[in-house]
Amino acid sequence: MKKRTSILGGAAAIAATFVVFVIPFIFIILMAFKDRQQSALRDFSWPTGFHFWENVVEVVKTRNWMMITAFINSSIITVVSVTLLVIFAAMVGYVLARRKTRWNGLIEFLVLAGLMVPPAVVPTIWLLQGLKLFGTLHGMILIEVAYNLPFSIILYRAFVATIPRDLDEAAIIDGARPLDVFFRVVLPLLWPVTVTNIVVQSVGIFNDFTNPLYYLPGNANATVQLTLYNFQSQFSTAYNLLFTNILLITIPPLLVFMFFNRQIVAGMTAGAVKG
Amino acid sequence: MAGLELKQLRKSYGKVEVIKGVDLSIEHGEFVVFVGPSGCGKSTLLRMIAGLEDITGGELVIGDKVVNAVEPRDRGIAMVFQSYALYPHMTVYDNVGFGLKLARTPKAVRDQKIRDAARILQMEHLLDRKPSQLSGGQRQRVAIGRAIVRQPEVFLFDEPLSNLDAALRVDMRMEISKLHNDLDATMIYVTHDQVEAMTLADKIVVLDGGVVQQVGSPIELYKHPANLFVAGFIGSPKMNFVAVNADKVSGDTVNVSGPDVVGVPVALPAGKVRPGDKLTLGVRPHDLVVATSGAIVGRVGLVERLGNETIVNLELPSGASWLAVLDGDQALKRGESLALDVDPAKALLFDANGLAVAAA
Amino acid sequence: MSASTMAGTPNRAETRAIKRSPYPGWFFTPAAIIYSVLFLVPTFASLYFSLTRWTLFDSEFIGLENFAQFLREPFLIKGLVNTVIYAAVTSGLKVVVGLLLAVMLTSQIVGRGYLRSVIFFPVLVSTVGVGITFTVLMHPTQGMINETLALFGIAGPGWLTDPNLALYSVALVDVWKGVGLATVIYIAGLVAIPQDYYEAARIDGATPWQNFWYVTLPLCRPATSTVITLSFIGGLRTFDLIWAMTKGGPGFASDTIASVIYKQYQAGFYGLSTAGNVVLFILIALLVVPLTMFLNRKQGHE
Repeated sequence: MKKRTSILGGAAAIAATFVVFVIPFIFIILMAFKDRQQSALRDFSWPTGFHFWENVVEVVKTRNWMMITAFINSSIITVVSVTLLVIFAAMVGYVLARRKTRWNGLIEFLVLAGLMVPPAVVPTIWLLQGLKLFGTLHGMILIEVAYNLPFSIILYRAFVATIPRDLDEAAIIDGARPLDVFFRVVLPLLWPVTVTNIVVQSVGIFNDFTNPLYYLPGNANATVQLTLYNFQSQFSTAYNLLFTNILLITIPPLLVFMFFNRQIVAGMTAGAVKG
Repeated sequence: MAGLELKQLRKSYGKVEVIKGVDLSIEHGEFVVFVGPSGCGKSTLLRMIAGLEDITGGELVIGDKVVNAVEPRDRGIAMVFQSYALYPHMTVYDNVGFGLKLARTPKAVRDQKIRDAARILQMEHLLDRKPSQLSGGQRQRVAIGRAIVRQPEVFLFDEPLSNLDAALRVDMRMEISKLHNDLDATMIYVTHDQVEAMTLADKIVVLDGGVVQQVGSPIELYKHPANLFVAGFIGSPKMNFVAVNADKVSGDTVNVSGPDVVGVPVALPAGKVRPGDKLTLGVRPHDLVVATSGAIVGRVGLVERLGNETIVNLELPSGASWLAVLDGDQALKRGESLALDVDPAKALLFDANGLAVAAA
Repeated sequence: MSASTMAGTPNRAETRAIKRSPYPGWFFTPAAIIYSVLFLVPTFASLYFSLTRWTLFDSEFIGLENFAQFLREPFLIKGLVNTVIYAAVTSGLKVVVGLLLAVMLTSQIVGRGYLRSVIFFPVLVSTVGVGITFTVLMHPTQGMINETLALFGIAGPGWLTDPNLALYSVALVDVWKGVGLATVIYIAGLVAIPQDYYEAARIDGATPWQNFWYVTLPLCRPATSTVITLSFIGGLRTFDLIWAMTKGGPGFASDTIASVIYKQYQAGFYGLSTAGNVVLFILIALLVVPLTMFLNRKQGHE
């Protein structure tokens, strides 16, 4: 009896979530396979022919291969800023968890403030211009690091707190200098939370739209999200191409999701529950 | 050759002083045990010697060098932690060899030393394992191995056996004792377990409230505790105490009486106490014997018959309760009256300040 | 060096000993520099520039005029109100739906792995992509949603074209995209509840509903406060989804403070845009600080 209700309930849940959560993605895929005429109908129908590849080629070639530039830019921003985030946040999280000083309260306040306070956009642009970083990838990378540091720090600090301090002390007795303690003993043990950080932050930064919109104007340094946004008006009559574009930029997060599902969920919940 | 000298060593956290001026000298090769209740400062003192805690005041000398400001790695010490503190991401081999690696010891030398340590501790077959694959006793060995390879002048042990089960604890205790004989090194060992202290130590340091209560060999502490705290802390079961007044001082014997005892004779040189002094009488449970009409009379409470001895809980008239460990099997019944006597040479007296009124 | 000479300078030895820490303070430096320069400095600068008429090259101090304008212009007030509505609706729905989905996913239901993945995946997808997709799906005449409703004889509304509805339609898409995160947070909270409580409740004869009301709900309060705080802050700051779907339209019907900030920036009203930032900051402080204090106070009873 109980089993039957659970199967019935499961079937109902599967059907409902399929309609709500899966159909939109199937819609995206179907649209990406259609030709321009059929896609203009914007209905949920089977493609009359297989046009995916030609759609991809056309999207990629649009505006002088802008899609390729955008993918390269987004990759550079994501990889470099996540690398910096991981190193700097691990350093802060480690010392913050281990060393009790009167600065800790202030630092923790700043970390929480960073999670809550919306960045002041125009003053940031003004500052970036002063630093000659406005509209550059360097500037964008530093912005992503600055804005995402608090979350990474919270993840690291919570994890460092679970590593027994005895290990540090054993290492110190063994003759480890401060950098040895960090790099040889603590950092290797931080690997699980580092994976989480890498995965969560790279998805977030890759998908970031608002910050590139403000700080990376112009086509030269466009990111994939900006490109998609700009194509929205360019492809207003070519829905097949618009959805091909959406499909293409959904692939990286999909891959991440397939390989790191567990770490993402662990990281987002751990950081959230503790923060 | 490295002895240690602690001169007025102090430690405070903010305004709270946890080590209040400890003076102690430890000779090379000695096995010294710091013992005391939890929070007495024994671990803090050990960590100050290790260099893991800053020294607030006083001087710490290891060998012939003041090491207050010397890094732990340069103090010639090694330490075994209560939690073992093995590096989880390294194999046993790498755990043991980590210190040598940091010291840039050549690989061949390192390998030799690791294997020597493993042989001494009979753990050669464990070298490729990770700490998570080891039992508690094996982890303990690795932790000791890690200390041995450093060839320190001074070994520091911080309650190393408290995470092991009782049987294993006895084994490891013997092993540490053997190690001490073989290595000819100074060892400082922290424990709250007085059996460990009694069995291992050449010299016991009893600490309470950040102050050294008494330093001495195990038997000295057992027989001649300096004060009420040491008397109560060393020895199991705990020493019995009762408030008394001195009534008769004659030659080398003092007779004391109180609400619960009448005319107990205590061997004491003349002139130490005067009639009427308020004192505390202390008698170890093992030093009580059954008598037909004894100085101490009470009602039998709980009786534990172990065969070779009988542990009796005796309720005294004032409501206080004493423990007596009687030889052999005694068929005592709950509620019956029992009279006990004390060997005058084994009874102890403490003055109003809790200090022992010295016997000799 | 002999012991006696060292003993002669105990003070120096002691101060050196106190300074030494195995946890180097300079580990803070790189993060501190980046964070201070790119986050703190602009934040403090915004307090000044919000009081100016500003062209990036020079600024003219005009006192509280920008803020006065914010409270005077109907479309700016509209943005303020919309922001609060949007945050309240999205966080409220995420709490309710997220908790229900989490309860479902921690029960003995079949297909848990599939359900969990499907519900969570939208969290990772590009917001702009989601926005565009739903803009197409929500088209009043040619969108799939209304076409489907028409099959059942229902005349679907103009999801994004009806000024009274547009904000809520975007909020609904926000919930669609974000409820997966709320769900996994709740799942983490639910599995942390010791099974003992349910067994005790069963011995006391609790019905499933009583189980939920008296055991689950109070014991997953930390998760609730996390979900509320996270999605409320997110809702107040939201920009990308609104911008991708309605650009604040029709008219100013779905403008929020964040979209107003961008519009004023585009129009070159830098002082006014920055004032918008300060208003958003104040709004978050005024709403979120009491909210978290309230949620944490309740937590204190455990």
